[in-house]
Amino acid sequence: MFRRRMPAAAALAALLLAGGWLLWRGGSDAPAPAAPAGTVTALLSEDLPTGFALATAPRPFRFPDDHGPHPAFRHEWWYFTGNLKAADGRRFGYQLTFFRFALSPPGAPRRGSRWGADQAYMAHFTVTDVKGNAFRHHERIGREALGMAGAGVRPFRVWIDDWSAEGGTDSLTPIRLCASGEGASVDLVLRSDRPPVPQGEGGLSRKGSDPGNASHYYSVTRLATRGAVGIGGTSYDVEGSSWLDREWGTSALGDEHSGWDWFALHLSDGRDLMYYRLRRRDGVEGRFSSGMLAAPDGSFRTLAAGDASVEVLGHWRSPSSGVRYPARWRLRVPSEGIELSVVPRVADQELRTFVRYWEGAVSADGVSLGRPVEGEGYVELTGYGEAAGR
Amino acid sequence: MILRLAGLRHLSRHPVQLLFGLVGVALGVAAVFSIDLANESARRAFRISVDTVAGKATHRIVGGASGLPEELYAVLRRRGESRTIAPVVEGYARIPGSPGSVLHILGIDPFAEAPFRSYTPEAAAGADVARLLTQPGAVLLLEGTASRLGLSPGGSLPLRAGREQGKVVLSGFLRPPDEVTRQALESTAVADISTAQELLGMEGRLSRIDLRVPEGETGEGALSRIRGMLPRGAEIVPTAARGKAMERMTRAFSMNLQAMSLLSLLVGMFLVYNTMTFSVLQRRQLVGTLRALGVTRGEVFRQVLSEAALLGAAGTLLGLPFGYYLGKFLLGMVTRSIGDLYFVVTIRDVAPTAATFLKAVFLGTCGSVAASLWPAHEATTAPPRDVMRRSAIEKGVASVLPAVSAAGAGLLLLGAGVQFYPSRSVLPAFFGLFCLVAGYALITPGAVALLVRAVQPALAVLFGTPGKMAARSIPASISRTGVATAALVVAVSATVGIGIMIDSFRRTVSEWLDYTLLGDVYVSSFEDRKEPDRRPLPPDLVASITSVSGVKGSVLFNRRMLESPEGFTELFVMRVPAESMRAFRFREGDPDEVWDALSRGAVMVSDPYAYRHGLRKGDALRLRTDKGPRDFPVAGVYYDYSSDQGIVAILGATHDLYWEDRGVDSVGLRLAPGVPVEQAIGRVRGMLGGRPAVVRSNRALKDASLEVFDRTFGVTNVLRALTVLIAFAGVLNALMAIQFERGREHAVMRAVGLTPMQAFGLISGESAVIGGIAGCLAVPLGLAQSLVLIHVVNRRSFGWTMQTFIDPWLLLQAVALALAASVLAGLYPAARLAGSPPAAALREE
Repeated sequence: MFRRRMPAAAALAALLLAGGWLLWRGGSDAPAPAAPAGTVTALLSEDLPTGFALATAPRPFRFPDDHGPHPAFRHEWWYFTGNLKAADGRRFGYQLTFFRFALSPPGAPRRGSRWGADQAYMAHFTVTDVKGNAFRHHERIGREALGMAGAGVRPFRVWIDDWSAEGGTDSLTPIRLCASGEGASVDLVLRSDRPPVPQGEGGLSRKGSDPGNASHYYSVTRLATRGAVGIGGTSYDVEGSSWLDREWGTSALGDEHSGWDWFALHLSDGRDLMYYRLRRRDGVEGRFSSGMLAAPDGSFRTLAAGDASVEVLGHWRSPSSGVRYPARWRLRVPSEGIELSVVPRVADQELRTFVRYWEGAVSADGVSLGRPVEGEGYVELTGYGEAAGR
Repeated sequence: MILRLAGLRHLSRHPVQLLFGLVGVALGVAAVFSIDLANESARRAFRISVDTVAGKATHRIVGGASGLPEELYAVLRRRGESRTIAPVVEGYARIPGSPGSVLHILGIDPFAEAPFRSYTPEAAAGADVARLLTQPGAVLLLEGTASRLGLSPGGSLPLRAGREQGKVVLSGFLRPPDEVTRQALESTAVADISTAQELLGMEGRLSRIDLRVPEGETGEGALSRIRGMLPRGAEIVPTAARGKAMERMTRAFSMNLQAMSLLSLLVGMFLVYNTMTFSVLQRRQLVGTLRALGVTRGEVFRQVLSEAALLGAAGTLLGLPFGYYLGKFLLGMVTRSIGDLYFVVTIRDVAPTAATFLKAVFLGTCGSVAASLWPAHEATTAPPRDVMRRSAIEKGVASVLPAVSAAGAGLLLLGAGVQFYPSRSVLPAFFGLFCLVAGYALITPGAVALLVRAVQPALAVLFGTPGKMAARSIPASISRTGVATAALVVAVSATVGIGIMIDSFRRTVSEWLDYTLLGDVYVSSFEDRKEPDRRPLPPDLVASITSVSGVKGSVLFNRRMLESPEGFTELFVMRVPAESMRAFRFREGDPDEVWDALSRGAVMVSDPYAYRHGLRKGDALRLRTDKGPRDFPVAGVYYDYSSDQGIVAILGATHDLYWEDRGVDSVGLRLAPGVPVEQAIGRVRGMLGGRPAVVRSNRALKDASLEVFDRTFGVTNVLRALTVLIAFAGVLNALMAIQFERGREHAVMRAVGLTPMQAFGLISGESAVIGGIAGCLAVPLGLAQSLVLIHVVNRRSFGWTMQTFIDPWLLLQAVALALAASVLAGLYPAARLAGSPPAAALREE
């Protein structure tokens, strides 16, 4: 399941490996050009870097340790997304993701300067204001030095600057998320009684046939969320549900894929559906497309490439970047009697960060096991406007 | 048309005259252009580098000399200011084995840089940021810089920052977005902040934190929010202030050089005057004929001036390339001097600007035209009949001579008066100086006439008739001899004035070094006083060297820079016993009183500091301490020649109350009687155990200081030599003109029996008389110049108080120089006259 969060990872990788392009690119107010596909893909499809641990076999997760960082692996992320609603019915979406990226394999000699860090962190924070038809996104990058960024367990914590996710000492939840940027802020508490769900084969998400070409991956699919969302100068008390993805590994994506469409939906019948579709350069859906369906009782099943289908019903062109993204879908899981129409809550939820991608709040309606069902969640669209050229 | 042709033909038939006129303009223009070029390039390089390094930062957070604690940056980020701030660790390192080459180390946090600087806009920059962050010593350089240093990616280069040996590894190239940035980065190594801290020994500290806030209310809000989070001792200053403060430091230095280059041009203008006068005289018959034929005065006037303009333009054209190469040569000296005196400027080549060119062209051309106004006037005002007579011009000159002398005297008075006008500005001083020189030049022809008359009897007795003839011919051709002499006087006086000034300065400094350096052995963490980035000596090393056997006493020093919105203040921290007050001479205050006051928490300030800040004993001085601004009483004003920006001296105990102790960067050791210095040095060196420090004897330190002093005046000496060269050409030009013109006269004399030997003697004699008189006349003007330079210009420019030393030997040299120049200049015409058969010259008619 490595590919699922690839865009941000790609951003970080490109940032750190391809170098100076992002650094010193000039004013932050200027829209950043998207990373050249060749660079990012070439870098990520490099041979496996040496000196890092590889995800080669399923392993039982040990909590709370596995909530914390795994510096033996090259990269790792904590990925929070969620849909929230204020008392007056105003709807919001949010995304707060923390990425860790090792700058060098473990065991590098200590430096004289405290700035000599081994780990870099990047975070993306977005808030979607459905009623205001507005989307705000912010980015933070920093190194693990002087307490400016880092992650740990007991208590669980991952942070960069003043953005943080802080949990309990023995259990992950309740997690408090705090982040703010120009015109937007969140201060949320997330709780869940459901245990984390391992993805792929018992938590090992294979991305290719080579051994080690995989990652460790689990999700907490539904977290009851309460707190406050700030838009402009106004604060709204909100409630809703969030989704947490945790993944760490060392390997990178193969060259045959141009991008992916990822769906994570909370259905009103209590089921949580995740499915991602890998798009191959030749237009065919990749055989590593995969998904998962979790029931309220904690049971779950894995979905393989043929178990679900995604049909694009409409498109939206970004006025800022000119990139055309799919904007409406029909998502089917025939074996589970699921057929959903998925629609973005706000058309423009494009992150114009170093690597440009679309990730936003969506709503869904349709049928599940023959009964009408509604849903809400997040969709991530990557690889558009990269290889195709703009 | 005819006029123009006639003019051109004339000039082409007198190539030697033309050549000298050209040389005069060319050298003068070259002097001005080269100094401008060197000054401008250094200034521009400095400004660009300040701008480039500041990037888009609008403000900066600065601390004391030791910078800021690095935690401050982390705290600001944790409080949500990450988008507006970027940390910087900055310093300089020397490259061992290539003296004078300095690498500017710019340490940044690549993750914080995006809003601030833009050095690598291309995706394919090849800069491996992970490596930049994790590999010790990893830096980015311009491709050109890397190849100049013989570095290819992955290659390493040893460096020395302070006395510490370090090493950088090239991990990628900088790709600046434009040419200006490229120039500014020529000697810059961009590194991660970790590497910069390690290279520069600044672990735990930041040089500054750059801020970028929008203008207006939002920005003000951000600034006051951040100001509220700053620890004591840290302060927000606008970015523009730093560049201005640093430019202010060098202004006086640049202006002094500019004034000197203008002097060269002025001397060059005398040559143009000579050339044009001569050419007008030569054509007096032609001009008379033309006038008689109906050519108007205006036409003749314009013709003469247009010739002068042509001459000026041609001379300028010749002078520019020469000036360009001279400027390249001087640039090294100028930047070295700025480095010795003020701060490091890294620049590798001159960059002429349109303004520099235009100024040189304007001065060269218009100066030439201005210098020809008088000859042109001469050629046109006289009635046609008179113009045809050669004596007319001399008569004209003779008649205006009293008026010219009176004008000169007036200018002299004005020039002298201006010097006494109380002002702190150096501009009136230079204006007065030029008045003095110009006034003196104007009275020179009259003085020459008088002096020649005075020496005539003596010459007659010594050399007989030729002697008398030589003496008489000078006043007879005063329009040219007077001007030639004036040119020589100005040039020689400049060498006298500047010579005495430098000599006085050097002796004052040398004396000061004698009484101020009381230690026998000095140990310091740096080589030059202005060495970039000095670091403290290890405390245990300080402890052990001060207790070496044979050491009777020790003094510990540390210098640190305080930066504030107003500029920089150098703080001299002394940990010394009471008897060390002997090492100071006071302009205000006496040693015992000062010591008492210092012990009670006062400071003393150096003479230039007091002058610059208008401070007197008893005043209060506000300094930015780690605990906020504090007022310190001024206990005294002492003489010091180590910094023209001035120094505030404070006792260690007082310092430690207000600032963090940053250790000791130099130690002076007093040896017990009978302990040989070499032996003590050997013992101290033995204790270093590989730790970097410079151990020097009193003698060696003094020599090193004077060496820096001499280097500072390198440019001045080049200009002085250039001025003499122009004057020499001027005398040569004038004498040759006179002698060629009098060819027929001489031929008649030869025909009536003057032997070649006598003819040779006659001309040489004339030259010698001119030279001798010029030499003598140059002395008073030189003395006056030196007084102005020492007591007015230098005081106002740099705040120095210098004693005046007049070395008689220097005065003799000046007279000898004038004599030698004129005798040499007379040789060729004399030899030519002596060697040519009189009949040939006579036949010409």
